[in-house]
Amino acid sequence: MGICILCLAACSSGPSADLQYIKQARSIGAEWALINEQAETHQLTATYVASMHQWLHDGLTTAAQSLSEPDSAYGHEIQALLAEPADAAPETLRGHVNKLKRIEDQLESA
Amino acid sequence: MNPLELTLGIMTAVGGFVDISELVFAAKAGSTFGYALIWVFAFATIGIIVFSEMSGRVAAVAKQPVFNLMRHRLGLKLGLVTLIASVISSLITCAAEVGGVALILNYLTGAPYLILAVGLTVALIASIWVIPFEWIERSYGLLGLFMVVIAAALVAIHPPWHQIASGFVPQVPKGLTTKELLTFGYFAVAIVSAVMFPYEVYFYSSGGIEEGWSIKDLLTNRLTSIVGMGLGSLLAISILASSAQLFGPTNIDPEIPGTAALQAAIPFGKWGLILALLGMFFAVAGAAVETCLANAYSIAQFFGWKWGRHKKPWEAPRFTITWIALFIAALAIVLTGVDVMTLVEFAILFSILVLPLTYLPLLLLAGDRKFMGQYANGAIAKVLGWFYFAVVGCAAIAALPLYFLTSGGNG
Amino acid sequence: MKPDGRIKLVSELLDLPLIDSEGRYCGVVDDVELDGAAGKTLRPTALLVGPGAYSGRMPGWVMALVRLLAGSRITRVPFSKIRTIGSAVELEVPGEAVGLNKSEDRAERWIPHKGAL
Repeated sequence: MGICILCLAACSSGPSADLQYIKQARSIGAEWALINEQAETHQLTATYVASMHQWLHDGLTTAAQSLSEPDSAYGHEIQALLAEPADAAPETLRGHVNKLKRIEDQLESA
Repeated sequence: MNPLELTLGIMTAVGGFVDISELVFAAKAGSTFGYALIWVFAFATIGIIVFSEMSGRVAAVAKQPVFNLMRHRLGLKLGLVTLIASVISSLITCAAEVGGVALILNYLTGAPYLILAVGLTVALIASIWVIPFEWIERSYGLLGLFMVVIAAALVAIHPPWHQIASGFVPQVPKGLTTKELLTFGYFAVAIVSAVMFPYEVYFYSSGGIEEGWSIKDLLTNRLTSIVGMGLGSLLAISILASSAQLFGPTNIDPEIPGTAALQAAIPFGKWGLILALLGMFFAVAGAAVETCLANAYSIAQFFGWKWGRHKKPWEAPRFTITWIALFIAALAIVLTGVDVMTLVEFAILFSILVLPLTYLPLLLLAGDRKFMGQYANGAIAKVLGWFYFAVVGCAAIAALPLYFLTSGGNG
Repeated sequence: MKPDGRIKLVSELLDLPLIDSEGRYCGVVDDVELDGAAGKTLRPTALLVGPGAYSGRMPGWVMALVRLLAGSRITRVPFSKIRTIGSAVELEVPGEAVGLNKSEDRAERWIPHKGAL
């Protein structure tokens, strides 16, 4: 019985259920920005950068597809982040990250 | 006591301490809660030191590894339940390690992940087949020492040492919401599980038998456990502290294992990155070998088969077939395409559930004067052993609820 | 301890590993054969080794699985072949002399005898 309640608690829909995916997308965007920033100053190998771009993109796609409300403000922000080119400027990526962070903070304090 | 052997043993323990689970959870713990979870790493390390020393002592004195005596102690039914649970736990852990190594190779070479997983599994099987036992353990453990670059990177970024030091004091950060408190609890449980994985004790005790330990090696056992694992945990704590310094303030909760390598790239550039990736490769590959062999040891010892890599593969045929089959099973799990981070989560969960069943027989055996004579657990080992048994018991009860309530630590 | 004194069947004998005269593992004490009757002194006469010996110690549905996976063979090791009983049961004879290690020998045919240092 306890397990069922816990499962139900984890499976609810809406913004509170999407919070974990918003956090994931926010973090992925921030990782992406850091990688591009380091790549600009030649701190990283090209192979590592390409590989990380691929994995981060896959993670972001999964997060976007897991949303229960893809047409929400955060859903559109995640899609906008996904649409950025792999070598997008770190500042551009962090712009998306900051917007997602604000949404995340609002949902957590609600 | 041979100083060279002891040094090699300690260095092997240091380089072999970090596996994919510790890598992932140390980085996430640092970025999420700053330095506040350092004490949990230190606390869990004392636990694994206590039980590793016990398992090595049982191997040296009773000359029987843990699983041989576990069935005798628990009986056939409960012993079989323990065996099945630990095989499932170690198999998932092995799959996480194989997937983790393939991922790291992908970061280094850019070759396709699944093809790397297949090639890597063949290479790991070949390495266990060809290389004598003591050099299997040593080669991966010593090459894992490349990860020391991450500790050096921590020094290079001039972290707040006083905050890191205060992280060793048991604490729960103030002002956390209920959800954050539960997430903190989940991370604490996950770190205990990752540091005290059951396979470590099975491998260590069987390894002691493989190396022919006897009473004269008790001091070596104690020093290897305490110094080796103590220093090894400092590597894991370096990952946490670097993550707190570099990732936390920039809104990063590392979502993929490769992000941890940035900790060495930021101060040291490409060479720091490559050394960190190489260290991660060997440390995690070593963990894949250990989990696979630990599983094969458990099965062979439970059923009384010939076992041991100190024998040639054809001298312990059922044991050989078992560890090859386990590697193939782990590869099959990776080839389903399941995400490595998901495998790590499941490995952590299954392991913490199995831990009480793992440590209880060991505690009873190490304290049994009939088997251990004058080398049975003294007062300190008894108190610490039963204390940590209670801790893992509580962690096992709390693990599943915390996992569901925090969406696997994602809040 | 020597095998000619009183022993506690469960705590001192069952599920102990078997080691033969050449120091090789050759099974686990899966059950014990007793001679005697109810109300009289029981004397162990042999150790029983093999999946078939689990019968009576495991539920029926588990035994069905065991038979499917591992068969139902039982090897009988006469009590007279035991040298000592401690943290393992040590035999006076090689495992083959009492019918042990047959599965190991069958498995060996599948393993190439080359490559290992």
